[in-house]
Amino acid sequence: MRIALVGQPNCGKSALFNSVAGYKTLASNFPGTTVDYVTSRVSFNGDGFALVDLPGIYSLSGSEREELLARRYLIEERPDLVINIMDASVLSRSLELTLELLELKIPLVICLNMIDEAARKGVEIDVDHMSQDLGVPIVPTIAVRGQGVPELFKTAIDTAKRGNTGKTYFLSLDVEQAVSELAGLLGEQTAGKIGVPVRLLAIKLLEEDEEFESAVRKIHPELMGEVERLRRNLAECHGRPSDVVISSERHSLALNLFEHVAKVRPSGEKSFRDQVDKYLMHPVLGYVFLAGILFFFFWFVFSFGKHIEEPILTLFGQFTTYLSRHLSNGSLLFTLTNGLIQGFSGGIGIVLPYLIPFLLGLSLLEDIGYLPRAAFLMDSIMHAIGLHGKSIIPFVLSYGCNVPAIMGVRIMERSRDRFITAVLVTLIPCAARTTVIFALVAFYLGPMHALLLYLLNIVVIAAAGKVLSRYLPDTSPGMILEMPSYKLPKFSNVMRKVWFRLREFVVIAWPILIVGSVILSLLEYLQLAELINGILSPFTSWLLGLPPEVGITLIFGILRKELTLIMLVQALGTSNFASVMTGEQMMVFTVFSLFYIPCLATLGMLRSTIGNRGMLFTLFFNTAIGTLMALVFRGIYYWY
Amino acid sequence: MIITLEKVKDGMEAVVKQIHGGHNIRQKLGGLGVHPQDKLKVLRSGFLGGPVLIEIHGTQVGIGHGMAQKIEVELKESS
Repeated sequence: MRIALVGQPNCGKSALFNSVAGYKTLASNFPGTTVDYVTSRVSFNGDGFALVDLPGIYSLSGSEREELLARRYLIEERPDLVINIMDASVLSRSLELTLELLELKIPLVICLNMIDEAARKGVEIDVDHMSQDLGVPIVPTIAVRGQGVPELFKTAIDTAKRGNTGKTYFLSLDVEQAVSELAGLLGEQTAGKIGVPVRLLAIKLLEEDEEFESAVRKIHPELMGEVERLRRNLAECHGRPSDVVISSERHSLALNLFEHVAKVRPSGEKSFRDQVDKYLMHPVLGYVFLAGILFFFFWFVFSFGKHIEEPILTLFGQFTTYLSRHLSNGSLLFTLTNGLIQGFSGGIGIVLPYLIPFLLGLSLLEDIGYLPRAAFLMDSIMHAIGLHGKSIIPFVLSYGCNVPAIMGVRIMERSRDRFITAVLVTLIPCAARTTVIFALVAFYLGPMHALLLYLLNIVVIAAAGKVLSRYLPDTSPGMILEMPSYKLPKFSNVMRKVWFRLREFVVIAWPILIVGSVILSLLEYLQLAELINGILSPFTSWLLGLPPEVGITLIFGILRKELTLIMLVQALGTSNFASVMTGEQMMVFTVFSLFYIPCLATLGMLRSTIGNRGMLFTLFFNTAIGTLMALVFRGIYYWY
Repeated sequence: MIITLEKVKDGMEAVVKQIHGGHNIRQKLGGLGVHPQDKLKVLRSGFLGGPVLIEIHGTQVGIGHGMAQKIEVELKESS
């Protein structure tokens, strides 16, 4: 038996999933498409079923990725039962999704969640009445505390066995006529092929749903004229587009239902949320708090990270020395082992110190409900470079490490925004690149030069953002974001999120790091450094005017940015860079390494976030920017 | 008086009259409970090109400036 959890964002769906995932024997990502939904095997009172946690959706009609994903699952996989989780405190809005779910004719049970929150808001719901109105069982719950959850699953299993699909809601007479006329034209067979009840298909077509439209067009292209005619009729009779006619119908049905089953008493007390938002959303103070919170987040991740990274790297360093004594330094075996350890320790050096605290912090901010507020505050500023408010979080965190920042890109809904943010984020100097800036530019040329580089970096990112959004124009109408009420984060929820995100790094980026590291060790073993320097010298030496020896350091820099500096010492044979490089060369080298190809771990994350092509694009785009900026600096030094 | 949403001052109440713009905008606003004839209250107005924060059907929704310009509302007499 398969049971799917469907609900609007912030309805407490994860909390519910988690409270039963305690019984789970196996949790796995849903195969294929994406890692966005999770299946868990649950056994309850002797009944076993698979529980599918679908992404939160506001309606079945949207065009967002999550909405299409959830809808496709419901239609193509057709679970045995849907549990519709509703946030009781926003009942009237949640009912619109419920009305759509009823049209699917899949057995349905309603989980009326957060009844405590509703009571606090003064909303009193007559559950029996509501259950009669909708024709489906309703179980009130407080999922975060596990209250009502056993009853919910008992009801769910019973309902799935009985196959109770609830009532069908009728729309106004003329709309209903259009729906049944279209349903008659389409016929059960067509709807069956697409996998939905014919009435739902007719409604969705009148709502101008693109997916269903193209599905029907494939089977019965001749019907599209009729669909157009019915849409036009509706639009003319009601004086607004047919999709608005239908959604308004659903909306007023939901409002009527709400008035029928719920009583709202004004709650006198000023809510905690209003008190807090007075400061956090204040037009001036809000930004002070935002800066403070982001700074604290950054500080927390990196002070934590530094304290752990150093001992880890020392430990691995000692291990390598130990190995070199036992495996005869310079042998192939030693080289391979050393490469393996380098890649392995590189992964640990990112995961433990930076990724875990970052993901912890991000999940906390997310669960508390601060992220949408930060996005709201930053919206107009980020618009200047063609993005939205939410991208501020990855941007800030990227100064520490690009890898978690790219993971943070996932909080954006649209793929275009994810793409642009992911590309731009890799241009930000992470902690490792900062060491190059400090050791070369700040140390030899002075801190003002370093500051200049940071400012230049921001200008370049803004310009790159402008360029990218020119080619990928923002087709979205802009931000529409629910501001949820603040919630106390639940430890198990936070840990689950951290784990799911962390696992991706371990599975995807880490292996790439290890393989890359072994390959580079082999290059070293085969003494190909000279060859590589030779191959790269037209670029490094002729174009950028750098010593040819830096070629190999740039290749190692792709493996891990920390290696840039270490390899530079090795390649040039001295740590006194001023003796072998001019100021110009240091500046040009630093500028180039600031922008060029991101490190392997970042590339791995890019690949899983924005795909192969996106990753390759970033690779070329960043190298082009690096080359261009390096040449600009060469020009400046030449003229002055 | 009918004006667009981003011009409504803090604390004022209004009724949604019309939503301009395409199918996607209407769907998205509809999903968050913003439909024609709905009552809303502006909690933070969209000054200086910033987004607007509204309260509608017991939830709070942030709406980008550009989108707010597409929403026509009628101010309530009392406010």
